[in-house]
Amino acid sequence: MTILSALPALAAFKLFLFTSPLAIVVVLSIVIGLLMVVLFGYTSNQKAIKIAKDQLKAHLLAVRLFQDQLHVVVSSYGRILRGTGRYLKLAFMPLLYVIIPITLLVVQLDRYLGSTAISKDSPFLMTVRLSNADALNDVSLDLPPELTMTAPAVHVPAAREVVWRLAASQEGVYEIKVVASGESMAKTVRVASELARVSPVRLREHFWERMFMSSESALPENSPVEAIAINYPERNIEIAGYEMNWIWLFFIFSMIAGFIFKELLGIQV
Amino acid sequence: MGWGRVCTLLLCALMPALFLSCERARGGSAGGKRLIILGIDGMDPDLLTKFMAEGKMPNFARLAQQGSFRRLTTSIPPQSPVAWSNLITGMNAGGHGIFDFIHRDPKTFQLYFSTSRVEGPKHSLHLGNWVIPLGSGSAEQLRHGKAFWEILDEQGIPNSVYRIPANFPPISAKGRTLSGMGTPDLRGTYGTFTFYTDDATAVAGAVEGGEVVQVEVQNSRVTSHLIGPENTFRKNSPPATEPFTVDVDPLEPVARVSFQNQQFVLKEGEWSGWVPVEFQLVPFIGNVKGICRFFLKQAHPRFQLYVSPINIDPENPALPISTPSGYSRDLAKEIGEYHTQGIAEDTKALSDGVLDDKEYLEQARTVLAEHRRAFDAEFPKFRQGLFFFYFSSLDLNGHMMWRLTDPRHPAYDPTLAAQYGNALEEFYQQIDQVLGEVLRKIDADTTLLVLSDHGFAPYRRSFNLNTWLLNNGYITLEAGSTPDANQPFAEVDWSRTRAYALGLNGLYVSQRGREREGIVEPGQADALLREIRQKLLEIRDPKDNSQVITRVDLASEAYQGPYARTGPDALVGYNRGYRAGWRTILGAFPPDVLEDNTNAWSGDHCMDYTKVPGVLLSNRKIDAQNPALTDIAPTILAEFGIAKTKDMMGQSVFHPR
Repeated sequence: MTILSALPALAAFKLFLFTSPLAIVVVLSIVIGLLMVVLFGYTSNQKAIKIAKDQLKAHLLAVRLFQDQLHVVVSSYGRILRGTGRYLKLAFMPLLYVIIPITLLVVQLDRYLGSTAISKDSPFLMTVRLSNADALNDVSLDLPPELTMTAPAVHVPAAREVVWRLAASQEGVYEIKVVASGESMAKTVRVASELARVSPVRLREHFWERMFMSSESALPENSPVEAIAINYPERNIEIAGYEMNWIWLFFIFSMIAGFIFKELLGIQV
Repeated sequence: MGWGRVCTLLLCALMPALFLSCERARGGSAGGKRLIILGIDGMDPDLLTKFMAEGKMPNFARLAQQGSFRRLTTSIPPQSPVAWSNLITGMNAGGHGIFDFIHRDPKTFQLYFSTSRVEGPKHSLHLGNWVIPLGSGSAEQLRHGKAFWEILDEQGIPNSVYRIPANFPPISAKGRTLSGMGTPDLRGTYGTFTFYTDDATAVAGAVEGGEVVQVEVQNSRVTSHLIGPENTFRKNSPPATEPFTVDVDPLEPVARVSFQNQQFVLKEGEWSGWVPVEFQLVPFIGNVKGICRFFLKQAHPRFQLYVSPINIDPENPALPISTPSGYSRDLAKEIGEYHTQGIAEDTKALSDGVLDDKEYLEQARTVLAEHRRAFDAEFPKFRQGLFFFYFSSLDLNGHMMWRLTDPRHPAYDPTLAAQYGNALEEFYQQIDQVLGEVLRKIDADTTLLVLSDHGFAPYRRSFNLNTWLLNNGYITLEAGSTPDANQPFAEVDWSRTRAYALGLNGLYVSQRGREREGIVEPGQADALLREIRQKLLEIRDPKDNSQVITRVDLASEAYQGPYARTGPDALVGYNRGYRAGWRTILGAFPPDVLEDNTNAWSGDHCMDYTKVPGVLLSNRKIDAQNPALTDIAPTILAEFGIAKTKDMMGQSVFHPR
């Protein structure tokens, strides 16, 4: 009986968690804040960091206590500088161990949280950028039946781009075929009302850009198309009357969580 | 007992408490009494009667039949800011101090908006090209007197007042209010559009209601700037601007607009949705946010792009537009972005020929659709107390569409009349649909008032009062100068000028001690005004011998209250068909005293107040035989058992003494 009565509340909480970006960011921040602290604790020389921090505190105290003795103040500042360098050296490698996986994780999370999927019946733009402006008139789209073109294509010679305004009649994941100079390539577009993983652009080459912006395979190397982009709307999360990108919220919450867990677990950071 | 059950029980226990505390915070209890007021700007009793008789407004017909329908005496003069201020305060202009859309400083002849003043900080520090404010600016409401919802707040009666005119910035209130007519755009004007074109024949620069910007199409691309508010952080306050690019397809009538990380495609003849825009005043520190709409009027052969006045962003208002301050944002979240500018219909763009009738009507329909969305969102939330909701569409579209219903009008065009002649009727019918929604949901404890601030009349001929004053020796120009048809009071010899006109109905005596170079002794002013009145009433239109002016009210006779002598000394009441000419309003001297009005602004109400009454309908019996706008505030208070204040002139329309 007790379990049964708790089920709706649990279901509601689960629904909230999986549909509210704010809840997701908060939970992720806490988990990642904890992971950061634990990872830092395991990969760092805790004893050496504690000594470095204690020494820094001692030198700072010396500056306050012996304000009237110039040589003590000056030498303490020199020691603070050296001590800071030592502390940074001790923290550098562990921070790298933390930052690299976190960055990769953030990139992946941004696919979900950075943009919203296209809404049903809402217009969106698909932009194809070509290598050669002369080929602008030789590009066409092959649309699935659920997608329609709501305006003629705009050819932009100045940017070597062709832009289409499209709209989807149903939610789903669709593949749009782009035919350029006789070659065909595809771009996925996600139409959804809930949280969904989106890939704003499909690129040729540009390894690092692809790494951070695309979750689709690269366009063929010899393709006349350089990039195919969908303008997914940017997502802002509202909190206390302010709207902001999830990255800022994540940064704030994970730092808070990190400081709390550092104290709870007794890890020197 | 599991934790889920505990949570559920706690929630169940807390919800009613939360609800009750919210209700209390919103202003207490009205004892179940409900009063709904639909304020329909410019609804004309004659048109309403006609449409009801033709079966086109069944809900109004039902209300008139089952309740009451009266003509509502409007204000002197019958201008919206004055009329709504009468309604809000229960006083006439002598009490609330609003006499016109514009007022003048008698010492400097500087004109300013009558209802509000927005000022920058009083002191600032100049560092090179930068100006550092020492203090904050202010937005001040100039209407005097207590608003009826302030009194309701004091008595704990819940209320919400949506878009009532002459309430910018909104006065402090416990309920939800949103400012209406009088709210400026981001540039501080009543609405300034921008029109970008590569048409070499178009004259770049300011036109009556906007600005024309010459652009070039190079490699199918147009690059220009959106024009924002004055940047008071810069020396000489140049306008803040933001760049945008339009890529026009070389062949098809379609273009892509790129702007501040946003892109959208517009077909020729298509409007964008609301586009957020941020003007940077100080890099990384100071910015203001607005919203605007783009309209691609033509892609080829000429490039023509209209950008609406930049409205204050309701989600991030640069100036106060609602109470509580977050209400404008909450409403935007619920219904989408909306016009915040007080006069939302871009009538000037139609008058200037930037938009044609079809394009203007699309914009005007969008405004009404927004109002209806807001109404549909707010009305179901109404539980008790007062709910006031304002609609602007009949007024603005009455002004612009009258010519297409009036074959006698100089701007009548039979082809356009065939296409858009029933547009005004459509707007009336939409208001009827809104009333239908209300009638379906009211009960025996609910009082409904539907009212308008004034009616409407044709505006066929312009009377240039300053030219007439000049021709009749009341204004004298400097020796050897000729009348200037455009510049306000250019070359006027004030040492020999006894009277002048300013505003839509205002006539002023150049009084010693008040005007900078006034020559008429205060004791002689009324005699002079009576002399001018006599002559004005005798004027006949040479075209058909019609009387042009049917009444002139002296301020000393028409107004009561502490501000009675701060406005015009007399109010000129034009006959139906006549109004003050566009250029005389601002003090210029067009050559002809009377001229045809060929402007699209073709219907009006700024005339003899007895000729343009408003409407008053209720689901209850209205006992007052000649109700007036000043009776509405006492009526509202009486509905909640509150005595009217001593300043209020009128009385409840349900219980006249």
